[in-house]
Amino acid sequence: MARIDCPAGPGNGDDVTKDKTENTLIKRDDESFPIEVRQERTNPLANVFDGLVRFCQARSMFMLHYCTGCGAIELPPAMTSRFDMERLGIQPMVTPRQADILLITGYVSIKTLKRIILTYEQMPAPKYVIGICSCTVNGGMYWQSYATAKMLKAYFPVDIYIAGCMPRPEAVIEGLKDLMGDIKTGRANSWKKYFQNYDYYLGNQQKLFGENWQTPTDIVAEAQHYNLMTDQTLGEHTALLEKHQQPLQALGMSLHGQKEKA
Amino acid sequence: MHLLLELLLMPLVAFIVGLAMVLMLRKIAARLQRRIGPPFLQPVYDIVKLYSKETQISHGLIHEMGIVMAVGGYIAAETLLPVPGMRGLADMGGIVTLTYLLMVPSLGMALGVGQCANPNGSIGISRALTAMLAYDVPFILVVFGVAWVHGTTNLAEIIEIQQQGGVQTWGLVQMPLLALAGLMTLPAMMGKQPFEIYVAPAEIATGPMVEMGGKFMGGLFVMQCFQLYTVGVLYTTLFLGGGENWPVFLLKVFAVVAIPMSAALMFPRYRTEDMLRLMWKWPVLIALLGLVMVMT
Repeated sequence: MARIDCPAGPGNGDDVTKDKTENTLIKRDDESFPIEVRQERTNPLANVFDGLVRFCQARSMFMLHYCTGCGAIELPPAMTSRFDMERLGIQPMVTPRQADILLITGYVSIKTLKRIILTYEQMPAPKYVIGICSCTVNGGMYWQSYATAKMLKAYFPVDIYIAGCMPRPEAVIEGLKDLMGDIKTGRANSWKKYFQNYDYYLGNQQKLFGENWQTPTDIVAEAQHYNLMTDQTLGEHTALLEKHQQPLQALGMSLHGQKEKA
Repeated sequence: MHLLLELLLMPLVAFIVGLAMVLMLRKIAARLQRRIGPPFLQPVYDIVKLYSKETQISHGLIHEMGIVMAVGGYIAAETLLPVPGMRGLADMGGIVTLTYLLMVPSLGMALGVGQCANPNGSIGISRALTAMLAYDVPFILVVFGVAWVHGTTNLAEIIEIQQQGGVQTWGLVQMPLLALAGLMTLPAMMGKQPFEIYVAPAEIATGPMVEMGGKFMGGLFVMQCFQLYTVGVLYTTLFLGGGENWPVFLLKVFAVVAIPMSAALMFPRYRTEDMLRLMWKWPVLIALLGLVMVMT
């Protein structure tokens, strides 16, 4: 996945330097990420089993479409009678717990990005993220906007981008088929990247949302539990998170705005 | 030993037939919407995929137990449903036991969802239990009527009586009103259109399933297979004389699931109170008339 650099706006350098979202990203190339290589198991039968499981994973994808921006309008025709995604085993689901794919279908404002990250962290792995439309690649026509998060992959790993403004349903289905191929060959491991490089992603999130940013999902604990810790998981940003982290509390139950008596 | 083999085989057969039913319903829905629909093994892919999730989000012991109850209740129910060549426990537990067992999955799901503490889930399960209340009244009336006519609650005997007497002793011919009432409650018992308000994906995010991912969702997919099979076989047993052999039996069971569902898919969803009103008005009325007919 090549990093796409966009030139700054013509003759309008001030806006770009004031830009809060893009210039403050932690500079790091994708190449420096430790890449998870699928390991062949010693037992040949186990390999057959793994292949079967991956085939089923590729042929059954439940997608959660987080309908931001304009790309959302391309999904109904892709799902209904004209293009019929169900032929390929792709069907919409409505909660992150049931979903495999997170579709982000357009520009992402900073406020929206918070919700997307909460959603992403709640999905059970293996999970895949697809960025649809140019806006998710590099901000697109919102490049100079102060309130839009450009470059989605700085905040969480993205498996596949489908560029276009907007991509037609054929392109969306083509992108999904590419993802299928990746799953079948075991290359679609971006969800591991999030655990393995949590410090980097959290750093970018903190730069955007402030030091007190925390999500209900404890990613570090999950990385420990699923044995996905690397030396990049913990770092200065996770240390900052630990400093500010508030323990999760159950929401107060109240009727008609009356506060519960303690 | 023979019984043990039957106890293993009956749920297995039920699962495979149930998978085919899920595929059939999805194909019917797709055809009605002028789509092609999922490939042949899609239900299998879905279940394998859900069980192969690498991170599982559990909300605690009861959450997991609830799914076990939901699937287990149906597995127990399958052993009471006689199929061609296998009687299982049908002679030991009649239709009354079966009626009890059919309530276990709903209650198990209510328990499991309760621990998720998701408001959408709580709304969904309260709707599901209300729906159960709605369809159980006509269902019990129908079951009572059939048991009264045949003078037994043993499902295997009910099948034998109908098979020996031929088509004119089928429940469908002998008690048409009860059969009609049963047919009307079928979609509600399967939790399908137009009575799937407790799922309502766009409004309450699939209700009881809202916090279920990975193996939990897989368990519920398995449960759905059993659910369709159980309802189809029960109706076939009560009104269509079971099956002399497997092809005839399967034909009847699939028709019982497909015909009301094809009609039901045309209707928009009923709200919970409308469903309750509908269920307690028409099927109950028809079933009561049917009871009057068979008892006089």
